[in-house]
Amino acid sequence: MPHLNRVAAGKGNLTDPNKSTAEADAIERAKQGDEAAFEVLYHLHKRRVYSLCLRMVSNPTQAEDLAQEAFLQLFRKIGTFRGESAFSTWLHRMTVNVVLMQLRKKGLPVVSLEETLETEDEAPRKEFGADDAKLSGSIDRMLLKRAIDKLPPGYRTVFVLHDVEGFEHNEIAEIVGCSIGNSKSQLHKARLKLRDYLKSIRAEKAKTG
Amino acid sequence: MTCSDVRRVLPDIVDGEIDADFQAHLLSCPACSELVDDLNLIVSEAGTLAETDEPPARVWVNIANQLRAEGIIRDPEGNPARPLLVPAQPRRWSLWWLAPVAAAVLAAGSYQLTHWNAPRSAPQVAQQSPAQPPAATPAVTSPANQPAVVAQSSSTTSHTVNPPAQAAKHQPVPAPLPKAETEVASNQNASREVSPPNEEDQRFLSEVSERAPGMRSTYENQLRAVNAEILETQAYIKRNPEDLDARQHLMEVYQQKAMLYQMALDRIQ
Repeated sequence: MPHLNRVAAGKGNLTDPNKSTAEADAIERAKQGDEAAFEVLYHLHKRRVYSLCLRMVSNPTQAEDLAQEAFLQLFRKIGTFRGESAFSTWLHRMTVNVVLMQLRKKGLPVVSLEETLETEDEAPRKEFGADDAKLSGSIDRMLLKRAIDKLPPGYRTVFVLHDVEGFEHNEIAEIVGCSIGNSKSQLHKARLKLRDYLKSIRAEKAKTG
Repeated sequence: MTCSDVRRVLPDIVDGEIDADFQAHLLSCPACSELVDDLNLIVSEAGTLAETDEPPARVWVNIANQLRAEGIIRDPEGNPARPLLVPAQPRRWSLWWLAPVAAAVLAAGSYQLTHWNAPRSAPQVAQQSPAQPPAATPAVTSPANQPAVVAQSSSTTSHTVNPPAQAAKHQPVPAPLPKAETEVASNQNASREVSPPNEEDQRFLSEVSERAPGMRSTYENQLRAVNAEILETQAYIKRNPEDLDARQHLMEVYQQKAMLYQMALDRIQ
């Protein structure tokens, strides 16, 4: 039975007990100023942090700066980490805050203020060349990344937080300061836009061969 | 249930199953069925993007330097540690080969990008063993990328990547291209997990094991990740040879690999 499923995007929890132990050990050593411990923590989480930044801002140079800032903020406060939540959750949330602060500083919309869905323009209409540009089957990962980059910033934020990073709508609403309804609406629109982008790329490729 | 009803309820169907009315409509409406299938596909693929990108090595260097500057990183005696790129002692020359290999990795990437025009030509490059980019000296790199290796070297004191002539004379084998390109090219969804280090990588890891055993797994994981990225991007370029952005990305990934070698050189001497 088809349903809108989600691959467990997860929030980076280290379920491997060996990794958890290594991380816990590194955290304690990092609190003593051990450089190797900081490096272990960095390498454990760098891809998650950088990928999140890159998906949100679509600019590798900015993403590097943001990832760097997220880790620095985390490491400055590592002495206060008491283990009440997962370290990865703490880092994850900090990274999102760093990115959103940057977007707000630049005056970019974090999320659209639209509260309601339009209905007419979202009909699953039959498009020209739709048979040739059918999306179902597979999506090239690089094309999907490129399509995400093309999303308007507001749509991109919610899509990345929900479908890529695994935040729930109530969490997104709290993080970005919108309603749960708005979060759902933005997500749906983002997905529809991505579908359009990907279909048009497919149609273009089919034409050019 | 009508198509309008489907559109109305779709935003609220996030993780859960759909009801019987919805299901019945999908069975009778190809357009709505295709829409749901497409959205499912986008959602499932999006979930795999959470950890796909590797930051350049310079990110860690910058973080470490800043932590040192703020006194957060301390040496075993509890004193603020030295900035990362200033060596604690004069360089030894026994690991000089790492730096030209780093440059050769860049040269290999540059050569591949300029000579790889069509899928037919790629296997010829991949099957040479070892890969033979022309005159792989540190000087022979694309101008945009050469500073990445040379600049970092210039920040050290007694060791440099240059002189190119000396490096070219003594360095026997440039870094070979990743193996199994043709195998990966036929598999659009090449696994990111299976990217074993090549011969030069193995030699590099052996040196790391000998001189800084605690760092071996870190560098091994980083090499696997960057090699996986190289393979995936190469496969993508084979399918989309006109994509200049992808070629640029491939060059950047080679640059990351070169910086990895350079970082090791800075750390393990």
